[in-house]
Amino acid sequence: MRTRPHWLLYLYCVYLLVPIYWLINLSLRDNADILGSLSALPSDPSFANYLEIFSNPVWSSGFINSLSYVAINTVISLLVALPAAYAFSRYRFVGDRHLFFWLLSNRMAPPAVFLLPFFQLYSAIGLFDTHLAVALAHCLFTVPLAVWILEGFMASIPRSLDEMARIDGHSRSFFFFRIFLPAIRGGIGVTVFFCFMFSWVELLLARTLTGSSAKPIVVVMTRTVSASGVDWGVLAAAGVLTILPGLAVVYFVRNHLVRGFALGRV
Amino acid sequence: MAELLLSNLSHSYPGAGAPTLSGLNLRIASGEAHALLGSSGAGKSTLLNLLSGLLPASPGQLLLGGQDLADQLPSSRGVAQVFQFPVLYEAMSVLGNLAFPLRVMGMSRRDCRARARQMAEQLEIDHLLERRPTRLGLFEKQLVAIGKALVRPDLSLVLLDEPLTAAEPARKWRLRHTLKSLQRESGATMIYVTHDQTEALTFADRISVMHEGGILQTGSPEQLINAPTHEHVGYFVGTPGMNFLDARIESNVCLVGDVPFGSLVVSPGVCRIGFRPEWAKLAGAPAQTHSGSDWIIAADVISQRVLGTHRGVPFGLVDATVAGARIVTRQPLDEVPSGRAQLHLDTVRAFRQGWVVDA
Amino acid sequence: MRDNRAWLGVLPVLLIVAFSAVIPLMTVVNYSVQDIFDANTRIFVGLDWYRETLRDPRLQSALLRQILFSSLILALEIPLGILVAKSLPRAGRSVGLWLVLLAIPLLIPWNVVGTIWQLFARPDIGLLGATLQNLGFDYNYTAGTLDAWLTLLAMDVWHWTSLVALLAFAGLTAIPDAYYQAARLDGASRWQIFRHVELPRLTSVLTIAVLLRLMDSFMIYTEPFVLTGGGPGNSTTFLSQYLTSMAVGQFDLGPAAAFSVLYFLVVLLLCWLFYTSVMRNRDAH
Repeated sequence: MRTRPHWLLYLYCVYLLVPIYWLINLSLRDNADILGSLSALPSDPSFANYLEIFSNPVWSSGFINSLSYVAINTVISLLVALPAAYAFSRYRFVGDRHLFFWLLSNRMAPPAVFLLPFFQLYSAIGLFDTHLAVALAHCLFTVPLAVWILEGFMASIPRSLDEMARIDGHSRSFFFFRIFLPAIRGGIGVTVFFCFMFSWVELLLARTLTGSSAKPIVVVMTRTVSASGVDWGVLAAAGVLTILPGLAVVYFVRNHLVRGFALGRV
Repeated sequence: MAELLLSNLSHSYPGAGAPTLSGLNLRIASGEAHALLGSSGAGKSTLLNLLSGLLPASPGQLLLGGQDLADQLPSSRGVAQVFQFPVLYEAMSVLGNLAFPLRVMGMSRRDCRARARQMAEQLEIDHLLERRPTRLGLFEKQLVAIGKALVRPDLSLVLLDEPLTAAEPARKWRLRHTLKSLQRESGATMIYVTHDQTEALTFADRISVMHEGGILQTGSPEQLINAPTHEHVGYFVGTPGMNFLDARIESNVCLVGDVPFGSLVVSPGVCRIGFRPEWAKLAGAPAQTHSGSDWIIAADVISQRVLGTHRGVPFGLVDATVAGARIVTRQPLDEVPSGRAQLHLDTVRAFRQGWVVDA
Repeated sequence: MRDNRAWLGVLPVLLIVAFSAVIPLMTVVNYSVQDIFDANTRIFVGLDWYRETLRDPRLQSALLRQILFSSLILALEIPLGILVAKSLPRAGRSVGLWLVLLAIPLLIPWNVVGTIWQLFARPDIGLLGATLQNLGFDYNYTAGTLDAWLTLLAMDVWHWTSLVALLAFAGLTAIPDAYYQAARLDGASRWQIFRHVELPRLTSVLTIAVLLRLMDSFMIYTEPFVLTGGGPGNSTTFLSQYLTSMAVGQFDLGPAAAFSVLYFLVVLLLCWLFYTSVMRNRDAH
């Protein structure tokens, strides 16, 4: 059995990391330096680009907007998906398999299809340009995913746990919150990972459903690109900052990830 | 033909404190059916993996047919292994599985098929040849796995790692029978690892009892039953195992709880005496006291369990206490009193620090 | 257990998905059969938009490009992902860290993936682009179609191979040691071990990997939008991009809606294949 990585893995990781390294490299240099010369190491590294992002309200509010709708989306997804996943994993009921399939098909729907109707729907009910609009729109993709992942984890917990709790005389809510949820906390971690992974990285819907006040960081970045005279250094710095939340999330769920993948639920 | 010789073989897993195997010496004759008996953690599987080459060479020597195994690849040792659960190539048919080791050897396609078919007939699985392993029952899968292990003609050693764990008791007998006849036919040496003494006693010509990384005793089933050389062998082999009583020897008299029990020509001092349940008998206490040299001692009967009848007399196990220690006897139940009784022994062995003391 | 009260548990999900999927989908279907001039003037046109969409040569070429792109990335990412998974250590404390490292590209916002590769591949300021230029290659992904495709493929492989690798790794770790031991004793070569021991046991995770990558690549929008903007010309314009430019750019609501419905049906078909194959695997175990 392999206990040490093969050299191919190192090679692949170089391929993974070199573009990111270049991003970090550019983020530490000013625009003139970037355009002036190509160097593997920044000759005069400075955090000026990062300081500009933190001091500019457009950038910082972009970050806060993104994190807000990602958080709202994750909470909504978990709240509605938990009871549904429990129902799918523990009961057979009229139309369950069709319903499950229909839910999944939403995960597979191209976001571009929903662009226009979403725009009109959220404008009509006055949610346009709010965090809630983006969070709800992303729910279309994250809720089916959350149900799918959680159902996989719940199905791997033997039914006898439920029965034991009933025999011991625990109330339904005590069982669900104090026994069942801790038993599937790995699954909850993986669900959060994937909700985050979808909501944080998505651009198309987030861009369409926001104007000025709820504009997410990813949109701020694209608008900087299209402005004349791109400030590459600031753009790179913003890119580096958008990687950090993802890194934090994956670090916390790393031990549960392989199990989630092994259940085939991603 | 290949004789297997282990001399001073040891093994330690990296990072583990105590060695898993220490200083094993064992000679297994060519064509012998040998069993390694021991509870889990005794080092049986480690020994097996050293033999098959799945673990790298260790201090000590491993000779198979006079050749050192240390510098041979697992696949060129002529060693096959059957695992606890059936291990098969799931995407191949049964025939493909049986033929695979032969194909790897470079045998022609026709010879492969012929040999695989012959193997399947011997195991009575020839009607399954075209099926996929995933569609077979656990027992049938294990038969295929055994066939796959035994199919190679250049085989000199077959290792069976608790191969019957997955089988139902009724089928275990049949499979053990099949294995024995295959072994006799092929003339291959077989090593059968198990923690079940019944399996070991019925399969093997000779048995090695392993405990904490060492071999305590190697011998025929009769030897292990009648002359265990270590307390653990006495306890582990036999249903139920040997009884032990703490004793003291004073001028060739064995005292149990300060009461003389019988005469024993052993140097004075503390020891343990052991006797098998079938060497002992509990009977009603007569009025007069005994002399102290005839292996009779007072006992209290607790309960009895009927196992069957022998010549019309109920027969079974009797639980009792002697000087505060629990013992079990295996005897006819018609003359067992309730309460106060006497324990009579036919034979007894004395042990010090676990090992038998010669009289 | 049969209990229709379980519907109560499913109800919140139904409400939220109905709100965010059913209403918009009905709107799309509604638009797809009408010609809309303004809020008050609409003409029912039946299936005209569908006919027009299916005949649209720009859409046909976008579809062809889409199929080519999706096949290429599958052919690259699946084998590479398996290879990476096989290179990972199976046990030890470093495994977790390697997994975190592999997961990084999956957690970067898609447009940032585009930006990273733009900064990396630009001939003037990018490490890759400038290095290639200095080595004498006439590399410019904004001008050359081939260069644009190669850069896009390199980016997609960079972005998504980890997903395949993580799935394959999960499949590999589920294979008991005894299978490897038995194969070694049989004298199986490395390739034979892969072909007869590992691959059969990877089929279910690989099915998921193939279908996920197929469907997700069918929806690709953001990364090429940032990197190439669909160009040079239309050479990297895929379905989502074409749809977006039609709906948002030109406000051709009718054709865009008809296109959306067709697009959705194609993906739904893929999804159905996915679901039945996964469920068949699951029932088999």
